[in-house]
Amino acid sequence: MSGRTRDYSKRASARLLLSLIVPYKGLVALTCVTLVCDMTGMLFIPTQLSAMVNVAVGSRDMSALMGHGAAMLVAALVGSGGYISSVFLSSRLCAKVGRDLRLRVYESSLAFSGSDFNAFGTGSMITRTLSDANVVQQTLLMSILMIFPVPLMCVISVGLAFSTDLVMGWVLLAVTVAVMALCVVAVAKSAPIFMRLQGYIDNMNTRLRESITGVRVIRAFGKERREQGRLDETFSDYASNAIRVNMVFAVTDSMTFFLMNAVEAAIMWVGADRVGAHAMQIGSISALVEYAMLIMMFLMMAQFAILQVPRALACLTRAASVLDTEPEISDPAGPIELVPNELTAEGGAARGEGGAEVARFDHVSLRFSDADEDTLHDISFALRRGQTTAIIGNTGSGKSTVAKLLLRFNDVTGGSLTFEGVDVRRLAQDDLRSRIAYVPQKAWLFSGTVAENLRHGDAHASDERLWHALEVAQGGFVHDLADGLGTHVAQGGTNFSGGQRQRLAIARVLVRHADLYVFDDSFSALDYKTDAALRHALAPELADAATLIIAQRVSTIRDADQIVVLNEGEVVGLGTHDKLMGDCPTYRAIADSQTRGEEDHG
Amino acid sequence: MASEKDVARERDRGLGVGSERELTPDAHEEGIEAPSDALGTLMRLWGAAAGQRWRLVVAALCSVLYVAGSLGATAYSAGLLDLLWGNIQAAFAGGAPFVVTLENGGRQILTFLGIWTMAWLFYTIQALVMASFAERLNLRLRERIGEKLARLPLAYYDAHQPGDTISRATNDLDKISEVLQRGVLQLLIAVCMVGGAVILMATYNLMLTGIFVSFALVSFAVTKLVTAHTLRVAAARQASLGVLTGCVEEAYSGRAVIKAFGREGASLEEVRAAAEDLARTSAEADFVTNAITPAVRLIMRLCQVTVGLLAGGMLVMGQMSVGVFQAFFHYVVQASEPLAQLSLTVNMLQGALAAAERVFSLLDESEVVPDLETPAVLPSPVRGRVSFEHVRFGYAPDRPLMKDVSLVAKPGQKVAIVGATGAGKTTLINLLMRFYEVDGGRITLDGVDARELTRADLRRQFGMVLQDAWLFEGTIAENIAYGRPGATREEVEAAARAAHVDFFVRTLPHGYDTMLSNDAENISQGQRQLLTIARAMLTDPAILILDEATSSVDTRTEQAIVRAMEAIMENRTSFVIAHRLSTIVDADLILVMERGTIIEQGTHAELLAAGGAYAELYHSQFA
Repeated sequence: MSGRTRDYSKRASARLLLSLIVPYKGLVALTCVTLVCDMTGMLFIPTQLSAMVNVAVGSRDMSALMGHGAAMLVAALVGSGGYISSVFLSSRLCAKVGRDLRLRVYESSLAFSGSDFNAFGTGSMITRTLSDANVVQQTLLMSILMIFPVPLMCVISVGLAFSTDLVMGWVLLAVTVAVMALCVVAVAKSAPIFMRLQGYIDNMNTRLRESITGVRVIRAFGKERREQGRLDETFSDYASNAIRVNMVFAVTDSMTFFLMNAVEAAIMWVGADRVGAHAMQIGSISALVEYAMLIMMFLMMAQFAILQVPRALACLTRAASVLDTEPEISDPAGPIELVPNELTAEGGAARGEGGAEVARFDHVSLRFSDADEDTLHDISFALRRGQTTAIIGNTGSGKSTVAKLLLRFNDVTGGSLTFEGVDVRRLAQDDLRSRIAYVPQKAWLFSGTVAENLRHGDAHASDERLWHALEVAQGGFVHDLADGLGTHVAQGGTNFSGGQRQRLAIARVLVRHADLYVFDDSFSALDYKTDAALRHALAPELADAATLIIAQRVSTIRDADQIVVLNEGEVVGLGTHDKLMGDCPTYRAIADSQTRGEEDHG
Repeated sequence: MASEKDVARERDRGLGVGSERELTPDAHEEGIEAPSDALGTLMRLWGAAAGQRWRLVVAALCSVLYVAGSLGATAYSAGLLDLLWGNIQAAFAGGAPFVVTLENGGRQILTFLGIWTMAWLFYTIQALVMASFAERLNLRLRERIGEKLARLPLAYYDAHQPGDTISRATNDLDKISEVLQRGVLQLLIAVCMVGGAVILMATYNLMLTGIFVSFALVSFAVTKLVTAHTLRVAAARQASLGVLTGCVEEAYSGRAVIKAFGREGASLEEVRAAAEDLARTSAEADFVTNAITPAVRLIMRLCQVTVGLLAGGMLVMGQMSVGVFQAFFHYVVQASEPLAQLSLTVNMLQGALAAAERVFSLLDESEVVPDLETPAVLPSPVRGRVSFEHVRFGYAPDRPLMKDVSLVAKPGQKVAIVGATGAGKTTLINLLMRFYEVDGGRITLDGVDARELTRADLRRQFGMVLQDAWLFEGTIAENIAYGRPGATREEVEAAARAAHVDFFVRTLPHGYDTMLSNDAENISQGQRQLLTIARAMLTDPAILILDEATSSVDTRTEQAIVRAMEAIMENRTSFVIAHRLSTIVDADLILVMERGTIIEQGTHAELLAAGGAYAELYHSQFA
């Protein structure tokens, strides 16, 4: 990482942290107050105790003794009360900060285009939203409770020491500085090893995942030993590094311990001298010892907590990079509103005349920002009401990208794409998408019930409409489910087979009335019989709208009004099946490859 | 419908799964749990520590000596303080200032430092000895997990999420090491410290000791009470985290749908509700787990105040010396802290034992039946005749799928397997490769029962290209040469050319040395599949299995690959699973599968003539 990006990430994470905490100023202030109570109370217990000793050996005044006892009780209550309150307040503060961070990451992701999102990747986005935020939350809590009190502790106890005796004040100050120096060295020494340890953990995870997900391939190739060897390698790398970290901890721990002993002896020696010089009283010796012990204890804890901080900062930086990503696609300042059509308003009777243009690709090109070549190049065709347009082409020919342009998941980089005569970039995304019914390649259902999923298309659709949509989508199997429309859907719809999922996804868009229906390879998981029945049932449903089918099988699209043949992002053929069979070699090749059986045997 | 679902479930145990998202591996990171058999688990951990139990023994011994030293130092300090005070008073009485010198109290202070130094020495030995104990033990357990992974049956892998297994090998073991590092000795030290302090206190003053013990019992009761509550709130947080995780994973996976339906707002609200709930439960859990210690500390401070007042009174009355007062009070403080930490230590220990139980349960999973001691050997060269003889099989014993399947694939034949998704096509592959063992009947290769061969020998005869293209983190060349690590670059390139992926690889900045990573998805699914095809080609196997390998590759590329395959499969047996009937009409044998079993078999012409399921399927496609 270069110096500049390190600076950026430092600044970005600091700014983010600040912006997360600022809304809870009051809570933060209150937490600080409780922590001051905690520290003061904690330090006043030995102070009062030594005062009791001094009274006992000096004035022998019982009521003064009781007074100090009462003060000690107050100190105990204020101290513990302060700490318990600060735990209470900081738990809430950090939980809120964690929640806000999660929501901000999630909210920004909603504005991302497909490319924006894929730049991070689903796995990474999930980590950023969940476990990164959790690390930040927990580290913040630990910092508030373990790092933040350290300066308070040092200042108050050194202050108390100075108020007891000037010389002892200097002694305690020297001790504090020495222990701090020790801690700084220890942290500086262990931080890089600690960071490396994180890398070894990642390695371990990656290799384990590989050997588990690839178990069939590994066994097929008889590579069990190799995988085991690779695993053992990461395991022992991790172990030896972890042992080194532990060693550093053990040595620091031991050094601090030794220092504590030496300091106690030194305070006794110097303290007794000071008592002998009438500078202070005998009871104060143990109070001073106690101050020194507390300082060391807090520094030790802080040292442990500080080691977690770099990891949390990395998590913050990762979150910041999501929040700082400028979405590629955003709504225009003054969007043009599409004329509401009777179709969406009334459920379908009257609408624009057949053949009217719904969308038009006019010399459209698309080049992804990181690519050297156009993904789509100079594409022109129109989608008309009552007509079915099909797109066919090889994998990578840009078929699905066409659908993504229509929905404005990506923006054209050349030419223009109009919807109802308006450039899509001048429309609000919501407005545009509400006119399009889209079935994605991967049929994704949400957890909930079948009915809830179907109502994504229209929250107020009646049960009859849902059943009708299911019937058209060949989703009759829902009738046979014990709970019918109320059947539970697992996340992603995994409790349904691939074919069932796809039929439910199709039914979901049919619940919505749209001007344009886009089926992105939506029939591929269906067997041929169901595919045929579905297309047959769909035809009258979509008679008034424009339909775009992206397909791999020629049999699926043979009856389309126009077929767009894509090859490497360019239109190499446009027309009906019969026309293309005659004049488009690419199309003929695809068709031949799929119907060879028919010619050979049929 | 019920049966269709059953089949879908069966399919989930087959080759097709693995792509669905799963919980992140740190799912139970924040959980606090209780073990079900603490003693048994401890004994097993002790067993696993063979070879370095001496460390534990030495460390325990040192810990006890350390406690003795630190309690002794406090006892000594009582006399020391009295001595200093006496000397000071004597000096004051004589009107002279008091100065510490070696003769005048200094020697005693140094002795005091000496006692502490002994305690420190034992503490340090303990810390250094234990620094590597836990990680060595973990390394050993991890290596055993690694071995175990190689011996677990496929049924285990199909029934468990990868994240679950990974979490046992990483997070769970880390929890154990953390506790072994600190918790175990901490508990020992705490017990000795409290016990020793109480005994020493009793030698000074019985009544005050009684007061301390009563407060300790109260704090004990509070700890016990709150610990139960801790488990509850931790479970609640875990549940909220689970809900939010599910919610976010789902939303990210279904992004396109959310946007297409304009449901961004609704989705944000769902996530917000789940995040809100997690914020609530985690604030509660963080509070409870972190507040027990100060709460118990408060009780013990009240104890200190009480003891301080009573002892102070005795001090005033002259019934107690300054040194004893200080020492007694110091014992109270020394014994209070372990009590305050008790619930944390116990939580940690319980969590670690629960983690250890998960690790051991993984190590206890039943393993594949080992290969025969004297395995059969295939006649050389292998011709590739595969036959199923009255094969009976089911993933669960009570749900048989194949009841009596027989078929013969002659050497060099192309066998096609067709059927709807979930019909059980991958089951056939599972049996062929002995990923699962047949329940009855037998499968033979060149007349030899597959079960009599070693698995390695059997599998070596197969080249396999799976639906879900598995590549490991390494270069493209290494991945292609996976089955034949000794292959030359020319051979690798030739295989890549045959699989039509050579051109693509060359367009990458580092060509064949491009690193593949599983997260970055730097190449498309189609290209990944082509690479696995190249990988299978390079091993030049006797039998080839293509499991819907071409589903992400377009038809024309598929045609080209199939042609290349056909060329190298000359005189080799092949099993092809494909959706597109066009690619299999020329097969020598077509197996039609439904609900996990083979319902028809024959050539294309025979099956068409029979007018059964295959004919129906075929006509619906080319109607």
